[in-house]
Amino acid sequence: MIDTTNREGCTLAIRTSQDTAVAAGFLSPFMLLFGTFLIFPIFYSFYLSFFGSPTDYSLSNLEFVGLANYKRIMTDFQFWWSLGVTALYGVISIPLGICASLALALLLDNKLFGKSFFRSAFFLPNVLDMLVVGVIWTLIYAPKFGALAQITTWLMGENNFFNTTGLLGSPYTALLAVVIAMVLKGAGFGMVLFLAALQNIPEAVYEAADIDGASEWQKFTKITVPLLRPIIIFMVITGVIGSLNAFTEIYAMTSGGPQVVMGGETVGSTSVAGYYLFKQFDSGNYGYAAAISYMLLIITLGITWLQQRIATRNDAMEAKK
Amino acid sequence: MSKDLHPGRVFAFMILLAIMITLSYVISGQLFKFGAMVFSAFTTGEGAESAMKAGELMLKLTPVHNGLAIIVSIVLTICVVQRFLRTKNEMRGAFLKRMFLYEALAVGVVVVLFPFFWMLCTSFKPSGQELVISKTNPFDIVPSEPTLDNFRRVLKTDAASVAAGALDPIENKKNFGTYFLNSLLVATTAAFLVTLFASMGAYVFSKKELPYKQQMFMLLLATMMIPGMMFMVPQFFMVCKMGLFGTKWAMFLPHLASVFGIFMLKQFMDTIPDSLIEAAQIDGASEWQVFRVVIVPLALPIILTLFLLTFLFHWSNFLWQLIVTNFENPLSITLPVGLALFRGQYTSELGLIMSASCFSIVPIAVLFLFAQRYFIEGMTQGAVKE
Repeated sequence: MIDTTNREGCTLAIRTSQDTAVAAGFLSPFMLLFGTFLIFPIFYSFYLSFFGSPTDYSLSNLEFVGLANYKRIMTDFQFWWSLGVTALYGVISIPLGICASLALALLLDNKLFGKSFFRSAFFLPNVLDMLVVGVIWTLIYAPKFGALAQITTWLMGENNFFNTTGLLGSPYTALLAVVIAMVLKGAGFGMVLFLAALQNIPEAVYEAADIDGASEWQKFTKITVPLLRPIIIFMVITGVIGSLNAFTEIYAMTSGGPQVVMGGETVGSTSVAGYYLFKQFDSGNYGYAAAISYMLLIITLGITWLQQRIATRNDAMEAKK
Repeated sequence: MSKDLHPGRVFAFMILLAIMITLSYVISGQLFKFGAMVFSAFTTGEGAESAMKAGELMLKLTPVHNGLAIIVSIVLTICVVQRFLRTKNEMRGAFLKRMFLYEALAVGVVVVLFPFFWMLCTSFKPSGQELVISKTNPFDIVPSEPTLDNFRRVLKTDAASVAAGALDPIENKKNFGTYFLNSLLVATTAAFLVTLFASMGAYVFSKKELPYKQQMFMLLLATMMIPGMMFMVPQFFMVCKMGLFGTKWAMFLPHLASVFGIFMLKQFMDTIPDSLIEAAQIDGASEWQVFRVVIVPLALPIILTLFLLTFLFHWSNFLWQLIVTNFENPLSITLPVGLALFRGQYTSELGLIMSASCFSIVPIAVLFLFAQRYFIEGMTQGAVKE
């Protein structure tokens, strides 16, 4: 009897160590890639940010410059300007995106024939290549031959703003034009999220409000919007990350332009941080680009921390109520 | 009957009906004309003369597509009017509301999808005629003299390019057929490897015991917060130091570790009961067999979703592919990079740029039509769970 228990204990021990080995084996390809391409670069980037830029685009003769890159960031007007443009891009695009997707979701949140057709049609632009969508919109906005210019010429004659400068040609409207294109591309995504949440709101809540004599608008602001809050918060967070990551749409539509002179420096009116980072990288300023990435990382983490604090404080306030 | 008709409601109905007829006539008219246009473009050959011929053919087809559009509009009108008259008086307010809803949604669909329809139409326009629009109706965007020349030129199968290709075969390889195949290869390989590694990893996180498993998972999730732009510089250096610059490996290797994928798969695998795995083990299945015969088939829908999403990501991963492409080797250029390059060369040739764009848009749109459920659920799932 004692023998058997011993043997069982023994096999159990062997089994667990075997199990661990098997588990490690299954996990190792992923963790190897993860460590190499996602963890190591965080430190490598920090290391690179202390090096200068080679004049010949070679990667081997980097010169150690200490903190010079970070000092340069502090006084680089173009960088801070690009951060401002990024913030503006987020401030315009996030509310517009939320409103557009919420409007679509409210329209679709009815008993409708062909609902899934509409859902798919609105979602479709989401899966299409950002660069191509940007290129198409550039041609729609283009003065003289774009679709918009042709329609406005027909309606208002040749001498209208859309035909002479075009939305992307003026520093006042270029960013807005990019935002409109991106909101129309992305609206279907938020719509699906809102739609799922709307369908989860029980009908009884609205019926109770009806009995209390609430108007449609009151029902919307006092019931629907608060219940959709998690989705709205999610869309704000993804919107912030999206603005910090914005590059392809700017590259495709404006190349950071049109240029404006601001405080003695020429800056691009749509040059967002991601695009500025790419520009620095593209002109061979590798060390400086690494330093900019680090600044952006710190800013992102700061914003995330702030958002979480606000979210938890709001939750606490809700609980008090 | 007639005294039941509320004048205000009838007026509103008339307006909505007028909007509906306009919408249905314009939309169906453009769609049918598009069909006729594609048909006539395919039946005629290369060059400006055949574009004229296609134009003549389209003129002959005009009664057909116009007639179809008129029939659709009339049938729709009759149905709606009948429905309205049959609806009880107290229900008519709701009826009008529904009509308005449908019209608003139809306008929304037109606005959202218009760019892509315009792209398709412009890609059939003969060179130099992209600017020509019908003076009577600028909303009629379907070309009346269609041609396939733009597609021939971006594929370099037109007469001029074939002649030039005899002299310089490499230059002739710089066409969108090559770019398309490159993108297909890169995206498929990447999607396959990502799903393989992620499902193996997710299996461990969900079902296996491993020291520090929780800590590792938290570390994975923490990196999801970092914007992708951050990794551009160091990953570029690493790829170059590995000597992979300009190869197809470089295009996807740094993006193989998909944290999002492992998160999504783990969520799903947590719902698979352990008893199934134990049953397979009792039957003497090896570890790999358990994974292949029990886990993968059960998680197949979610694995397929991840495959599609990863494919999509690499299909349009423009920034990374741009910086690791060696432009001296045209055989390694992928679709988005090729399009950016192409646009620099032919800035004002709308038809060419649009037909080049079709190579990226149309396959994905078709894929979406067949697998929309996977796309929509996969892309929105992360949001709802968090």
